[in-house]
Amino acid sequence: MAASSSIVSVAATASSVPVLPSSCDFSNLREIKKQLLLIAGLTRERGLLHSSKWSAELAFSLPALPLSELQPPPPITEEDAQDMDAYTLAKAYFDVKEYDRAAHFLHGCNSKKAYFLYMYSRYLSGEKKKDDETVDSLGPLEKGQVKNEALRELRVELSKKHQARELDGFGLYLYGVVLRKLDLVKEAIDVFVEATHVLPLHWGAWLELCNLITDKEMLKFLSLPDTWMKEFFLAHIYTELQLIEEALQKYQNLIDVGFSKSSYIVSQIAVAYHNIRDIDKALSIFNELRKQDPYRIENMDTFSNLLYVRSMKSELSYLAHNLCEIDKYRVETCCVIGNYYSLRSQHEKAALYFQRALKLNPRYLGAWTLMGHEYMEMKNTSAAIQAYRHAIEVNKRDYRAWYGLGQTYEILKMPFYCLYYYRRAHQLRPNDSRMLVALGECYEKLNQLVEAKKCYWRAYAVGDVEKMALVKLAKLHEQLTESEQAAQCYIKYIQDIYSCGEIVEHLEESTAFRYLAQYYFKCKLWDEASACAQKCCAFNDVQDPD
Amino acid sequence: MSAYLSRFASSFVMPALYSTGPDITLSKLYKLIEESCPQLANSVQIRIKLMAEGELKDMEQFFDDLSDSFSGTEPEVHKTSVVGLFLRHMILAYSKLSFSQVFKLYTALQQYFQNGEKKTVEDADMELASREEGERKMEKEELDVSIREEEVSCSGPLSQKQAEFFLSQQASLLKNDETKALTPASLQKELNNLLKFNPDFAEAHYLSYLNNLRVQDVFSSTHSLLHYFDRLILTGAESKSNGEEGYGRSLRYAALNLAALHCRFGHYQQAELALQEAIRIAQESNDHVCLQHCLSWLYVLGQKRSDSYVLLEHSVKKAVHFGLPYLASLGIQSLVQQRAFAGKTANKLMDALKDSDLLHWKHSLSELIDISIAQKTAIWRLYGRSTMALQQAQMLLSMNSLESVNAGVQQNNTESFAVALCHLAELHAEQGCFAAASEVLKHLKERFPPNSQHAQLWMLCDQKIQFDRAMNDGKYHLADSLVTGITALNSIEGVYRKAVVLQAQNQMSEAHKLLQKLLIHCQRTRHTEMVISVLLSVAELYWRSSSPTIALPVLLQALALSKEYRLQHLASETVLNLAFAQLILGIPEQALSLLHMAIEPILADGAVLDKGRAMFLVAKCQVASAASCEPLKKAEALEAAIENLNEAKNYFAKVDCKEQIRDVVYFQARLYHTLGKTQERNRCAMLFRQLHQDLPFHGVPLINLL
Repeated sequence: MAASSSIVSVAATASSVPVLPSSCDFSNLREIKKQLLLIAGLTRERGLLHSSKWSAELAFSLPALPLSELQPPPPITEEDAQDMDAYTLAKAYFDVKEYDRAAHFLHGCNSKKAYFLYMYSRYLSGEKKKDDETVDSLGPLEKGQVKNEALRELRVELSKKHQARELDGFGLYLYGVVLRKLDLVKEAIDVFVEATHVLPLHWGAWLELCNLITDKEMLKFLSLPDTWMKEFFLAHIYTELQLIEEALQKYQNLIDVGFSKSSYIVSQIAVAYHNIRDIDKALSIFNELRKQDPYRIENMDTFSNLLYVRSMKSELSYLAHNLCEIDKYRVETCCVIGNYYSLRSQHEKAALYFQRALKLNPRYLGAWTLMGHEYMEMKNTSAAIQAYRHAIEVNKRDYRAWYGLGQTYEILKMPFYCLYYYRRAHQLRPNDSRMLVALGECYEKLNQLVEAKKCYWRAYAVGDVEKMALVKLAKLHEQLTESEQAAQCYIKYIQDIYSCGEIVEHLEESTAFRYLAQYYFKCKLWDEASACAQKCCAFNDVQDPD
Repeated sequence: MSAYLSRFASSFVMPALYSTGPDITLSKLYKLIEESCPQLANSVQIRIKLMAEGELKDMEQFFDDLSDSFSGTEPEVHKTSVVGLFLRHMILAYSKLSFSQVFKLYTALQQYFQNGEKKTVEDADMELASREEGERKMEKEELDVSIREEEVSCSGPLSQKQAEFFLSQQASLLKNDETKALTPASLQKELNNLLKFNPDFAEAHYLSYLNNLRVQDVFSSTHSLLHYFDRLILTGAESKSNGEEGYGRSLRYAALNLAALHCRFGHYQQAELALQEAIRIAQESNDHVCLQHCLSWLYVLGQKRSDSYVLLEHSVKKAVHFGLPYLASLGIQSLVQQRAFAGKTANKLMDALKDSDLLHWKHSLSELIDISIAQKTAIWRLYGRSTMALQQAQMLLSMNSLESVNAGVQQNNTESFAVALCHLAELHAEQGCFAAASEVLKHLKERFPPNSQHAQLWMLCDQKIQFDRAMNDGKYHLADSLVTGITALNSIEGVYRKAVVLQAQNQMSEAHKLLQKLLIHCQRTRHTEMVISVLLSVAELYWRSSSPTIALPVLLQALALSKEYRLQHLASETVLNLAFAQLILGIPEQALSLLHMAIEPILADGAVLDKGRAMFLVAKCQVASAASCEPLKKAEALEAAIENLNEAKNYFAKVDCKEQIRDVVYFQARLYHTLGKTQERNRCAMLFRQLHQDLPFHGVPLINLL
């Protein structure tokens, strides 16, 4: 109880000394549940809907509290009471998206809550106007120039308050958002960190921080409050930074301490598995998730990607219809439908749906990349290049777009030109064998066999997904008449295939046996030669060895 | 009436302004109008004020009035006149605007007006504002500083036309006069800004590529180049006029440009791969023009090979066939350069250059004209004709570029100017005019800042001149320290200079080793000039180690080479060396007759140092050959020798060769002694003593120095 009341005091008085409501351990789940319920209410009152949703979802996953432990509503202060009428009216206007009107009636309010809502409605009004104005601008060059006019004023006012240390956790969050929108990333990070110290329970601040941190080094130098929320943050950011092992570890811990029912965590785990291409696990988790939360739309685009990779047509079709029924004007829905059409090889329609997704949210970068893939399928290389470029503009770290660009130029028979793109993709995913194999193929086409060999070897070393690197390496050795190394590669290849025990078509198996037979024959190792030759006979395509 | 006038003014001045640059401030606009059309200025001011401070309807009224000016039996503006076209254009654009856009236009106008007003008011206010107010203002400013900065960085929206103008202006400045363009950092900032607002503006990426080249940033320039072509491919595909063709075309040129980029950064292998790709794609689509460009690049990349001139000949022929004058004459120029190194006669080369010059003037390819003159300068210098070289260099510098006539941009940032100026500096240094040379170098430094593309040329030239001066001065340690710098810019030159320093420091075996290595390398790469220089150094090594007989065949080889390649400067130096060898071998008469052959070109075109050395040698030979004569004749010969020595001394004094002066003075003293002129002898002896105390003695017998 003491802990929860301290949050209120923080929220209400915004004292300069942050009082931490929670420690890092998860021993007291009831306390955590209380905190979550409280923050869900606080964020809802301030119109921070997504944070409220997150907290409520998480609270739902914990066992219900008995009546005796239920929270009384936070005490109302004198200031709050004064602004009560204005706040109630404004909140109603705010809820129906009449932001200017809300701001007008909140002008001059002194309580923290009313002040936040006042600033927040001004911010949202600016954003809304910006979106509206993009439609009719004066000229093509002006299109990108439309900006939220309110941002500057908000920044000036908020920075004054910030310097006077009058901002509470929510105020700091809003200040950070304004700074980020003005591209003042460094300042924004500082403010968000401060916000997490003052009000650690507000997930929105953590999430904003996630978007601003670009690498592990930056993360190391942040001084974050030591609370249980930090665990969620770390897990989330590890997923974002592609540090999947660490992320999975964190999520497992969270499940172990009692959050096993949280659909948020389950979906994050599924996304993490998707990122490391562990398709089966990701699929089963997503299926589970859909059972728990059948009307969930978030992350379903990832799910559809998985279904697409596995070519599960019927499941994908079911998912698409289902989502379309729930809400057909969601980005994720459009993406799922796009994937569905793509799997059915109706690429024009697929591209259309990805375009629709982009209209709904121009910053949804996955759609740009997917659209690029569709154009590639339609052999419309120039449109594909455009789509990939857009994807890169939205996010420079989108390795699939770089890879796609590389593929496009490879199709255009420009192996040297596409090297650059593959290299960029490789830089972003140094341990992904597909880029390495692609690089190797390009080098091979350019007759740079030494480089090609290095690429293939590295691709094998980082764990080859498609199991083709070794064969290609072996063939290169064969070309260079390095029979010893070639034989070694073929042996490794065969060992690899048999050890992983997958029943996948391996066309090159016969080639491997055939070469090995010849090799042993040359080395006068007759037994081995005949063994290999016999294996060879099992395949249809090499019935005629010389 | 005033309405009409203001209308006329805005329509008359606006096109002039809008087509030439970004928005100008209100005060500037007023000033411009006042200058060009004073009677209108006031009414324009009133009209703008009226619109900006009034209401929306005032602006609407303005446009309504505007369309009236075409109607009536005697319209105020003709529909087809320039002004009329502009007005109609404006009206059309205005009537296309939606309601909210009209309002936006109006607020933009208001803002423009207010900004202009504020500025003028601010200027006046500054003095009036009380101290107190100033302080308050300061406070406010502090808060606003960072906001203002970002405000400045996105200095208002540019229209498509304005952005294009900005880009083309900066690009042409980069090409012609880099110092006048924005600094790399600020230009990049502008470009980033432009791209932030409109990522589809592909040309900005190309300028960003050029800008990155300025600061030698491989990574960013590759990025920008590829980005540009990715975007271009898109626009090429969109414009249906050239359809598939336009799309493929940009692909080819993308690969070609990538090759050029790698070549620029010295990644020759990469460049070759990219070029092969470009060639392959161009061949597949039968693009002969692109293939021609590829062929020229192929030559550039394959220059080191001996048979590259075949490529070039093909290239020239084909380029003429396809009507590409630029490529053709560029090819001819490269061919001339190549042939000059291969020892073709000057008249043929000059003929070829003259023919291509005709082409240039016909097509007004001013860039190539400059190159041609710079090339002539270089060729004359190669042949050792310093006067001709000097004349050509001066001609290039004092010539008015063709561009300046129509664009007002003087082309003075090109490689040809750098080359000509470098030659000029070296020529002056050769003649001992070091002040003039350093003046030229200073100018070069200003015109080609150290990080620019052609800066290496003058850097090398500067170091060489410093090196030569240090060697003349006998400051070998200083020269040695310069060698590293030279090696960084030109490794072969560096090795040669290192050997020269070693030789001067009496480290004969090291010098010999280095020279032998260098000789083999240069013979392989057919660097004839350097081969001869190395041979001369080797010969010097031999006689300094007292074996002049071995030096003779080396010298003869050098002589044959320099005669074959018509390198007069080197030839006469070889003759000088040969004569000296003969002198040492005790046949001064032969040496003297040989010298008479070489002395004329040396005195005419040679460097001051060479002139001094030649005169000194002549004197030595005269003395040596007079030894066996009868006393009267001998005295006469000695007198002549003293005269020559005086001349030599003068030459040496010009280039501060103290060591040589010391030797000359010593020699003179001896001669005066023989002639019994005690007073003169004592004077010379004293001079010698002074110099001898200043200079370290290197342990080489005087007689063994040329």
